[in-house]
Amino acid sequence: MFSDFFSISSDIIHQLCMIFGYYALFKKSGRKGWYALIPGVRDYQLAVTAEHEEEGKTFFILSACSFVCNLIFVYYDEGSAMWIVFGSAYFALSLSSFFYSIRIYMAYCDLYRRHRRWTVLWALFAPFVSLLWGYNKNFQPSHMAFDAEGSKAAAVSGATVDTIGEGLTVNLTDRTVIDFFRKKALLKDIHLSIPTGHMVLLLGGSGAGKTTFLNALTGYEKANAEVLLNGNNVYTNYESMKYDLGFVPQQDLMRDGDTVNMTLNDAAGLRLPKNIPFKERRERINGMLDKFGLHSVRNSLVEKLSGGQRKRLSIAMEFVSNPTLFILDEPDSGLDGIVARKLFESLRSIADEGKIVIVITHTPDRVIDLFDDVIVLAKDTGRTGRLAFYGSINESFEFFGKKSMEEILLSINQMDEGGEGRSEEFIGKYSMKISEQAV
Amino acid sequence: MNTKEKSDYKYTGHIGQTFIYLFKLFRIFIFRNDWKVLPMAAVIAGMVSMVVGKGLFLTMEGTLQGAFALSCVCIWNGFFNSIQVICRERPVIKREHRAGLHMTSYVCAHLIFQMLLSAAQSAITITVCKFSGVRFPEGGLISPTPNGFIVELFITLFLITYSSDILALMISAIVHTTTTAMTVMPFMLIVQLVFAGYFNIPDILKDVTDMMISKWGTQGLCALARYNDLPAVLIWNRMVAAGNVDLGGIMKLSDVLRFVEEKGLKNRVLSELGKATQNAAYASTAENLISCWGHLVVFSFVFSFLTVVFMEFIDRDKR
Repeated sequence: MFSDFFSISSDIIHQLCMIFGYYALFKKSGRKGWYALIPGVRDYQLAVTAEHEEEGKTFFILSACSFVCNLIFVYYDEGSAMWIVFGSAYFALSLSSFFYSIRIYMAYCDLYRRHRRWTVLWALFAPFVSLLWGYNKNFQPSHMAFDAEGSKAAAVSGATVDTIGEGLTVNLTDRTVIDFFRKKALLKDIHLSIPTGHMVLLLGGSGAGKTTFLNALTGYEKANAEVLLNGNNVYTNYESMKYDLGFVPQQDLMRDGDTVNMTLNDAAGLRLPKNIPFKERRERINGMLDKFGLHSVRNSLVEKLSGGQRKRLSIAMEFVSNPTLFILDEPDSGLDGIVARKLFESLRSIADEGKIVIVITHTPDRVIDLFDDVIVLAKDTGRTGRLAFYGSINESFEFFGKKSMEEILLSINQMDEGGEGRSEEFIGKYSMKISEQAV
Repeated sequence: MNTKEKSDYKYTGHIGQTFIYLFKLFRIFIFRNDWKVLPMAAVIAGMVSMVVGKGLFLTMEGTLQGAFALSCVCIWNGFFNSIQVICRERPVIKREHRAGLHMTSYVCAHLIFQMLLSAAQSAITITVCKFSGVRFPEGGLISPTPNGFIVELFITLFLITYSSDILALMISAIVHTTTTAMTVMPFMLIVQLVFAGYFNIPDILKDVTDMMISKWGTQGLCALARYNDLPAVLIWNRMVAAGNVDLGGIMKLSDVLRFVEEKGLKNRVLSELGKATQNAAYASTAENLISCWGHLVVFSFVFSFLTVVFMEFIDRDKR
């Protein structure tokens, strides 16, 4: 009787300490205090505050599963088969969630700039440590938690661009995802049109949404948008139009155990229309081998190729179908200056054939003379990718008041990334500019 | 040709793509040294037949042990064939899916390729067992011809290997990395071994064994080996070992056993002991064997279907 009373009392005290402690911690970090009321949710929110959301999610799921297993486990008689099964599962899940909680506490120590030794105390006495950290003024977070809902980003332009007959027209309102019951905007308010024959640089800091934008552009990840390529809607005709969109990923995603020739042959098999005569297909493949300098290694295994050769093969695999829109995600990564320059020159020649070439690169200045236009994407205060500029290279220098692409990138990068943190300013400026043009 | 013209073209369909990938799998099988699974199957079969081959198909205990061991060999072979094949090239598949790859074609190519690989491994296992001195009975349950047993044994081993192979293929389609795949594989193997029906399972978990490849594999092999008609020698051997036990001062246990042997009753005693050990699940009937095969075929279909379903969600992977 006494032991039951003691057990229940200690549980209540434990929960009350957690609620009050976490409430104070959330208030310090600028989060909603009521999160502290719900076990599991409060630990997830603690992880979010410490910018370790993924760990928080996993911890929440493991805790929920372990809670369910515990409920079933206590229902069965001790020693029965189901008691053993669910008891083992409960033990395994609890142990796993414990290790995730350690990760969260470590991140929290980092947030408060305290030694990670505090993790041990957090793991053993979380209710009391949360009270101490929550109510003692000596414990202050290094920065406030990010709150997308509360942030005030630059106003959207509300403008759209007119469709161009020969080229790419993009009117993207937003691209959102539901992540752990919350809606997140990854991209917003991007409107531009690129004429055929243009080679365009896509510039933006990490997390600005460059790859998301390209995926939305090709219809691979559909956004709330209208994307027209030579007047044809990419989204509504995706199944047929995907063959006219070449996307070369950043990594050289090919099978190492196959030969160059067969890799290209199979790529052609997938991407070329099936009624193309064998001779024409063979000529196309040989043309690719010649164009990208792979003829001498055509019978080599992909794993034996150098970095440059792999990159060229990766590009050739997409270009074999002669796509109208050709997108390359960091094609020069891992290549030296001369090889990279040659690669960009071949991309320029592709654009000159009447294609649209869009390229992401982190070293644009060495090849900037080859580009016609630049798209600058930047994160607004809500961490949503926004269009900070689209236009010719010279106009971009004038718009940002800079002399190189690297300087432009620095100006829009966040201050904690070593940048000037002026992304919001340029997003607003560009948004206003195109609003005025629309009027 | 312009964008509009291109969108009107017909591109390589499901069957064409299946062949593209099937030939690719054969090339990679050679170039990437994936053929190593074949000699490995021979080595494993050799080890198992060395350990359990002596009593296999001759006594109840030897047959049950041997059937369980052969099931485990097939499950291991199947798992090892395909546990990494999809997850190791997941980013490549995503790229190709973007370029027009049909997931059904990709999975079909694997299903055909793994079918041939499983068949080769089953043939190797039987060959090695034969060379190791395992004595195969003549006549199968469905086909009474002299080679009927070998044919039915091949089909049973093949179906165990193939269904395990497709189970591993499904796991490979679910997990994202080879590390995760190799972590899950031993766990799945343990589950198959524990719930094979070889060990005593609590009644409440008996239904779980019905979902195990190992259960139907062992059952099929025992049925094919005519388990219930074989002599049970374990009790006799234990009694021989305990021959010095004094039976009330009248005689020793060894005297009783000698008496039984002298009277020519040993085989009858062994046979009667066998009858007492019979298991209805191992009934040596064609229906029972076909039922076991049917379960393994159903498993293969279900796992194949689920593999395609999981692969269709590949684009939802987070970067």
